[in-house]
Amino acid sequence: MSKAGIRFRITDIFLLFMTILPLAAGIILKILFVPASDGIKITGAHIFFKIALPLGGLPITEAQVNSWLVMAEVLFFCLFMTHGIRAKVYTKRQVLAEWAVEKVEGLVTENMGEYFRGFAPFIASILVLSALSSLMSLAGLFPPTSDLNIVAGWAILVFFLITFYKMKCGPLNYIKSFGEPVPFLAPLNIISEVATPISMAFRHYGNILSGTVISVLLASALGGLTSLLLGWLPGQLGEFPFLRVGLPAVLSIYFDVFSGCLQAFIFAMLTMLYIGGAFDYEKYLERRKQKQARSS
Amino acid sequence: MNSLDIISVNIWQTVISLLNLVILFLIVKKLLFKPVKKMIAEREEKAAAVLKDAEDSKARALETEAQWDARMKSAEDDAGKIIKEAKQTADRRSEKILRGAKERADDIVRQAKADAELERARSEDEMRHEIIDLSSILTKKMLRREINEDDHKELIDDFIQEISDIS
Repeated sequence: MSKAGIRFRITDIFLLFMTILPLAAGIILKILFVPASDGIKITGAHIFFKIALPLGGLPITEAQVNSWLVMAEVLFFCLFMTHGIRAKVYTKRQVLAEWAVEKVEGLVTENMGEYFRGFAPFIASILVLSALSSLMSLAGLFPPTSDLNIVAGWAILVFFLITFYKMKCGPLNYIKSFGEPVPFLAPLNIISEVATPISMAFRHYGNILSGTVISVLLASALGGLTSLLLGWLPGQLGEFPFLRVGLPAVLSIYFDVFSGCLQAFIFAMLTMLYIGGAFDYEKYLERRKQKQARSS
Repeated sequence: MNSLDIISVNIWQTVISLLNLVILFLIVKKLLFKPVKKMIAEREEKAAAVLKDAEDSKARALETEAQWDARMKSAEDDAGKIIKEAKQTADRRSEKILRGAKERADDIVRQAKADAELERARSEDEMRHEIIDLSSILTKKMLRREINEDDHKELIDDFIQEISDIS
């Protein structure tokens, strides 16, 4: 192997290592700093430390740290996927990267129209951030998506985008659209406008959190059932929760893997539909033509 | 105090999360979509170039083929013409030769016939003369007297003429 080849391979391994490192770092952080939960308790994210700021200060929590870890993972994974990308060679990862890019672009253009092709990276990042955040619970870490603040941040960004694209057809038109179909429905329209990000945030957050809650409840219920049925066994055997073995793992496939990926997809889908629906391309073109006619 | 409540709202956390998504968007855009799309565009360009090359080559090949076809056809025509011409000349020449040969044969035959005729006439003549001589001798001997040779000859000639007329 040539010198360049060796360097290439070393960079590859380094990037892969850096992709996995955040996960390991998250686990180590959790072991070092988060006290083990004693039994059945449902709480929010653990606070590592707090930065004094107005409006309640900024607590640096597990959710924050874990979402940064996800970002680091994605960053290095992107670097790994596109490392040594060339038009001539066909490597597996290149095919995978191409497949992902084209799939997301196809999804975006299908749901939002050709005008929004540039939204593909945004949708891809929502998908990947949400899915990986939810899947963090597989490694025993706190899933950032079960913290309302995290998901609310995304939903608010989506709300800004929706409003921006509605404004693109003219701010006056945007304000007028609240008075439709009859002016006295304006309060309801405003409420429904504001409800969009809230419903999005709570849908995602609630789904992931409910999975955790059900898992915890089930684990405690199974522990109780074991001591009820098998409590007569002598010594340590009587205290060991046999029924907790296996069954929670099956449920975890639904609540952690399936639900996590599904919620990511739903969030991305709603983002696309809301933003795509907010923008009327024909109206926009008409308005631009009018503007040009006025200026010339 | 050590962990958040299950539902807790904190403006800063929300803002940070919002910025996180924006940063991740930039990461995905710059580090994944841009290189991949660039690569795809490059490949498409290359593929288009290869395709164009192939089409050009094909067009050129077709052109050459047409040229060769035309050339082949003209060559075939030429060959046909040459063969035809050669055949014609050969025919003409052979006819000429045949005709010449026939003429010569005819000449020979005619000559031979004429010769034979001449020979016959001469031999006839000779015979006649001999007969005349013979008969004149015979008559002389029979008559024992000399008659006028010329009268005699004339007489015998008449006689022979009569005989030949009869025969």
